Amino acid sequence: MQQAHPTTTQQIPALVAARKRRGWRRLAALVVRGALALAFIACLLLTVTPTGRAGVRAALLLPALLTATEPPPLLVAGDPIRHTQRSIASQDGPVYLDIYAPTTPTPPIPGARQGLLLISGVGDNRGVPQLVNLAQSLARSGVVVMTATTDTLMGYTLVPETVDAMVQATLALQHTPGVNSRDVGIVGLSAGGALGAMAAADPRIRDTLGFVLTFGGYFDATNLLRDMGRRALMVDGKLVPWQPDPVPIQSLANTIALTLPGPDQSLIYSGFNTATGLALSPADQARLSPAGQAAYHLLVGDEPDQVAANLAALPASGHALLASLSPSSVVGQIHAPVYLLHDQSDIYVPFTESRDFAAALTRLGHQHEFVEFSIFQHVEVKSGLGIGQTLRDGWSLYQILVATLGAGA
Amino acid sequence: MLTLSLLWLGLGAVIGLAALAAQLAPPRWGGWRWLALPALGAVAALLGGWLGALLFDRVQASLVAVWVCIPAVVLTALLARKRQVA
Repeated sequence: MQQAHPTTTQQIPALVAARKRRGWRRLAALVVRGALALAFIACLLLTVTPTGRAGVRAALLLPALLTATEPPPLLVAGDPIRHTQRSIASQDGPVYLDIYAPTTPTPPIPGARQGLLLISGVGDNRGVPQLVNLAQSLARSGVVVMTATTDTLMGYTLVPETVDAMVQATLALQHTPGVNSRDVGIVGLSAGGALGAMAAADPRIRDTLGFVLTFGGYFDATNLLRDMGRRALMVDGKLVPWQPDPVPIQSLANTIALTLPGPDQSLIYSGFNTATGLALSPADQARLSPAGQAAYHLLVGDEPDQVAANLAALPASGHALLASLSPSSVVGQIHAPVYLLHDQSDIYVPFTESRDFAAALTRLGHQHEFVEFSIFQHVEVKSGLGIGQTLRDGWSLYQILVATLGAGA
Repeated sequence: MLTLSLLWLGLGAVIGLAALAAQLAPPRWGGWRWLALPALGAVAALLGGWLGALLFDRVQASLVAVWVCIPAVVLTALLARKRQVA
């Protein structure tokens, strides 16, 4: 008995260690079982609920929006797509449509695909890589995407007839086979946002439209011209300096010139430089009519103290044109939910335009969401962003994506 | 679909290995359990992935592969254990 005792004493630590190992293994097994249960529940909910499906698609799309490229997970897991082109007639002449659609059959759940009309604003943006990437990424995630433009838009000019073009494009998308006609949304970028909002107010589509999203769009063309004239924005009751890019100056110049006498039009068109904006010699300025001079000074911003007088000096047809190009004149007729996105440092369209839009929708009690971003320049992602900034704005963008993709998921 | 199918096979094998780590394999399977559960998981995930692609779309298919595979592996292992006890 005396000899057996040391052996037992030696075995005790080994037994304790073995029991500890068994305990750890049991704990690890429980943790893995819990992880399997969580993975099962999470994947099930993400698949069978519309919000879950929208969340998955949004998660796959977000990197595409933040990096302006098609992310590898979407290339692997997404649908193969086909790009086709066609044109339809409208009051603004032919509407050029680029359609990006999945080639796979329409899935039984939810039974039809969501459709998105993408209006990219002025200029010919059909081949711009960021826009193509966006359209392709959306299509790979199962959405039928249609981009629409017209000759006037490509010519950096805004005319009320373009709204009809966008309505016709929306109707064409709603009648595309496989698309749920009540799940078609309009996404308008820059000036396309205003056109999209005005199309959303059109009686032909306003009751069937899923949503309208404007990114960097204007709300009131007269206010935009006022901001341009004083080269400053009214932010929270204070004037803040603002220097616009030549592109919106060119677009407004082309648009306002339509209401000016012929010689004024020629002078204004000839005085435009895509790099520096509008500039006429004093002699050419003197040749402009009073209305032409008022428009010139508003566009050039060289008479910030005379903005009210210069606006008043515009012809009545000019005021009517600006009103007919403003979502502010039809905001009460929009029935679809509105999503407003704007870059706080936008040099194309002041972010205060979307603030005004949101304020008008709030007054009307209209369903809307408004997000101000700092990771974009106008509608393109900036480079060299901080992680905190990207995460904050990325989360806001993700929520908007889930909301807009949710209905059709 | 080949890349996705391979992805689903891999996912299923990982889930099978996780089921092994969760000590769900019947002891009677012995050394075969190291092969049986990952293989079962791979087949279940592949079927689930194709089902997901047909019912939903490719984007959702990988998630369907996971939630089809997990109960398939776990329930098969638990049923085998039960039969062994009986």
